[in-house]
Amino acid sequence: MSGLPRRITKETQRLMAEPVPGIEAIPDESNARYFHVKVAGPAESPYQGGSFKLELFLPEEYPMSAPKVRFMTKIYHPNIDKLGRICLDILKDKWSPALQIRTVLLSIQALLSAPNPDDPLANDVAELWKENEAKAIETAKEWTRVYATGK
Amino acid sequence: MIVTVWTGYLLFQDPPQFFVDATRAFNSRLVCLAQGILHMGSSCLSKDRSRQQPCRQSQNHHHNRHNRRNHHGQLHPPPRGYHVTTMHQSAQQNLERQLRNVRHPNLFLAGLSSSDNDDDDDDTNTDILVLDTLSIIRRLVDNDPEPPSSMLRLHDIAESESGWLRVVLSMIRVIPMEDGLGPAVITLLIDECPLPTVETIHRLYGALGISQNLSQEAQAHAARHRNIATVLGCLAEKLAGPKSITMLIDDVLQYLLANLNLKFSPQVVLFSLIALEKFSQTSENKITISNSGIRELLLPLEKYASSEDLMLRQVGFCAQWCLDNLFLVEGRPYTHELVSLKDCHAMLNDKDVSEYLKITPTGLEARSDASSFESVRCTFCVDAGIWYYEVRVITDGVMQIGWATKNSKFLNQEGYGIGDDEFSFSYDGCRQLLWYKAKSRPHDHPMWKAGDIVGFLLDLKHQEMLIALNGNFLPPETDLFTSAQSGFFAAASFMSFQQCEFNFGMKPFVYPPQVAFKTFNDYATLAPDDKVILPRHKKMALLRHMSVSENACNLCFDREADVILKPCNHSGVCMDCAMQLEQCHLCRSTISVRAFHQAGQHHS
Repeated sequence: MSGLPRRITKETQRLMAEPVPGIEAIPDESNARYFHVKVAGPAESPYQGGSFKLELFLPEEYPMSAPKVRFMTKIYHPNIDKLGRICLDILKDKWSPALQIRTVLLSIQALLSAPNPDDPLANDVAELWKENEAKAIETAKEWTRVYATGK
Repeated sequence: MIVTVWTGYLLFQDPPQFFVDATRAFNSRLVCLAQGILHMGSSCLSKDRSRQQPCRQSQNHHHNRHNRRNHHGQLHPPPRGYHVTTMHQSAQQNLERQLRNVRHPNLFLAGLSSSDNDDDDDDTNTDILVLDTLSIIRRLVDNDPEPPSSMLRLHDIAESESGWLRVVLSMIRVIPMEDGLGPAVITLLIDECPLPTVETIHRLYGALGISQNLSQEAQAHAARHRNIATVLGCLAEKLAGPKSITMLIDDVLQYLLANLNLKFSPQVVLFSLIALEKFSQTSENKITISNSGIRELLLPLEKYASSEDLMLRQVGFCAQWCLDNLFLVEGRPYTHELVSLKDCHAMLNDKDVSEYLKITPTGLEARSDASSFESVRCTFCVDAGIWYYEVRVITDGVMQIGWATKNSKFLNQEGYGIGDDEFSFSYDGCRQLLWYKAKSRPHDHPMWKAGDIVGFLLDLKHQEMLIALNGNFLPPETDLFTSAQSGFFAAASFMSFQQCEFNFGMKPFVYPPQVAFKTFNDYATLAPDDKVILPRHKKMALLRHMSVSENACNLCFDREADVILKPCNHSGVCMDCAMQLEQCHLCRSTISVRAFHQAGQHHS
């Protein structure tokens, strides 16, 4: 690695200067490739009212490979597992270097609005989501209240 | 390579169980980020299982797709049947060795009498497992795909909160002062074990009786207190953020501050200082510590940065680093403003280094206190002739020092450094290994000691690499020349708490080889601005003011966007980036031709 790539500096500047509503991404004090992220639960989703912490890391190969992102706050979602790992195509095989930190975080916010139990990461959650959606949504709301508010 | 790569192994060893058990395991930043493979690898794994495919295949598939670190994919089936008997035998031999060093021998006598008891539910067994891990770590090499069984057992014990407490108290109790790898092993074990809740950490404080007064015991029980400080530092790093704030209660702060006194062993001072530095990674703690009077304690310590007592030298290094980077003192000039670099023409490259390595403003000494594997290259590159440089190891732990080209990557979080790819070769005097392509083989030198001099001779005419410990050369090595013939930099990687000093020819060498050689310092030049190694906050501030040209490549922002992709006709990228793309970055259509723009022609 030779210093901090201009691409990362440029993205960081823009994130600070023009933040995305409902999303906060702050670079770590000692590691400019590591971001402390907060995403607000989208309105009209079971996550509404919650504030979810994530961590985002730009690997050496970024932007030729995707950022690594993980939920730090517990969340009940069929595409997010107990360790906070996210099942999202653009973080894997559908990554493009034209995508950015900002677009990745927007996609994650969108994933909260539209859970996809047919492509599950957390199997038990996905099953309940398919069998009894109302109950699953209730659980997601409860988890949001317990883990994602007031901290 | 360092052993943290096992975290991937631990996660993968038993996939179905993993999703059940791992609720609170591995919720640490490093463990997850460290494993480039984890985020993607495991999720593929879960999907593939639902399609009734073997999970290991998906993992390899993933690795092949990304075309690196394939040897990670070769994970063996779960070794859940521990070799208990074998372990106990080696643990017992180990015990006999360690008994001399440990302060509570009666615990071990009890352990000996019940050594054939498989029940791990007692402190003595935990002590044995910790000591076993400590002795094994030194002998472990990359060819072992599984972590040592003692480490797996400790990991299992630490699954419960009370088990975690037992493991940590055991480490504090038995890891001896004399073992240079002790603090690194504490870091490793805390890394490997599930992280505790804040309640458990408070229980740990209670069990230790932590307070300002506890520091008084540090004189008589230096090892114990060095270990306590190391544990506190590790936890502060792992739990950076809100948890770290609730961890830094006043008793802990006062205890660590009271330890910053050279009436105690320098190791107690050193690791207490490192713990405070790691607590300061969380901004609120930094303010608290900053207002605690720490500056007055650090100022008398920084003069030891050039001490010939190598333990004190480490204390001085860290004190100076804290005063330059964290706890600024009004009226105290930065160290970089004081050093004279007139005669220095080659140094460690502050712009070619992984994130957490600390480099002195002289550019010739470096240290890592992070749990990652930190690397750096020299500023000067050699292409022909015979070159020599020396390194004085200040600590005797794991460092991989040698030569690397620009193509060698610093994957610090994954545990890869110099000698861990085809573009670098390194010498590790602690584990007594030579490293190339992340594979190691033993060499005949004795284990290095603090103060030893390692010499590196690169003969590009005969394509040979010679390495000496205190003037005693090993046979020539040639591996690296199969992948590179020129463009070599002196380079090094550091495990936690390791430090060394480089001589690129500015000073006379201690063991100059008996052949005609050149030194970097005689042939290199550096612009005055390129010699300045700024404290981190000043470096970050400079970065924020960087500007970008209008016509810059949309992907790297470094070069001009002068390429058009065919057949889709999208543009906005430079040739360097275009060459790395298989599909168009905008429309994902497969690229068949990458052409430079004709003047005046613009597609987008």
